[in-house]
Amino acid sequence: MYGLLDISTSGMIAQRARLTAVSANLANRHSTGPDGTPYRARHVMLAPGDPTASSEEGRGWGVHVADVEIDQRPFNMRWDPTHPLALKEGPQRGYVRESNINPLVEQVNAVQASRAYEANAAAAEAGKQMIAQALRLLS
Amino acid sequence: MLFTDLANSGSSPALEQLLRFAGARQRLLAHNVANMDTPDFRPMDVSPSTFQSSLRRAITERRGATGGERGTLAPLDSEEIGTDSRDSMVLVPKTPSPGVLYHDRNNRDLERQMQALSENGLTYRVAADLLRRNHELLRTAISQRV
Repeated sequence: MYGLLDISTSGMIAQRARLTAVSANLANRHSTGPDGTPYRARHVMLAPGDPTASSEEGRGWGVHVADVEIDQRPFNMRWDPTHPLALKEGPQRGYVRESNINPLVEQVNAVQASRAYEANAAAAEAGKQMIAQALRLLS
Repeated sequence: MLFTDLANSGSSPALEQLLRFAGARQRLLAHNVANMDTPDFRPMDVSPSTFQSSLRRAITERRGATGGERGTLAPLDSEEIGTDSRDSMVLVPKTPSPGVLYHDRNNRDLERQMQALSENGLTYRVAADLLRRNHELLRTAISQRV
């Protein structure tokens, strides 16, 4: 019965990781690296199972962050030849590369992640009440 | 011998099975909720109606064998329910979720999972309360305060 709370907790941890990635993406929308390369969006990949569980059986339950992928989609381009980071040569001369983050997509992801967090918290609450019921058998 | 007869009197065995089933199912449902956003995940559940019919069969068998007030229940004969080496109930989920398949190949259905969670919690509460009532009866009889 006590593995129950582990499962819901792993769900909450995974959703918080998603929300952290979304916040990082939104915060770094206008960031560039030292060589002028813009920030690439980070996406959190979830997978079932929890490798941090203490027992072999427990590792099959729950969810965990399998990977944080860096979005390899092409950058957005903005025409601004006077910008210091504008490309100097090639077919996109005069364009400035901007990060490939879409703020609308990120905001929807944030809403989804917080709803999923609430769902996991509700499941944990239901599990806690069941454990309390079981303990009342003693009295 | 006396204690096992007391523990298996009346409705206690059936209530214990119900308690075990609801407790084991809660883990499945929490697992489905935790994987609400995992790609390629298909939420699986065990069917409560299948459990009810195998419990009904076991109760009828017990009633036929000993009259219904004594004796243990036979192990439930459902393909979704088994026991492990420590004699606790192990569920093998085989009932797929009927939700719509989304683009990440996950057929999540939050409403259905939440409904299942609350119904399961209520079932557990009913079984625990009735079992506690049975134990209180025993305690009243033991203390000779009728």
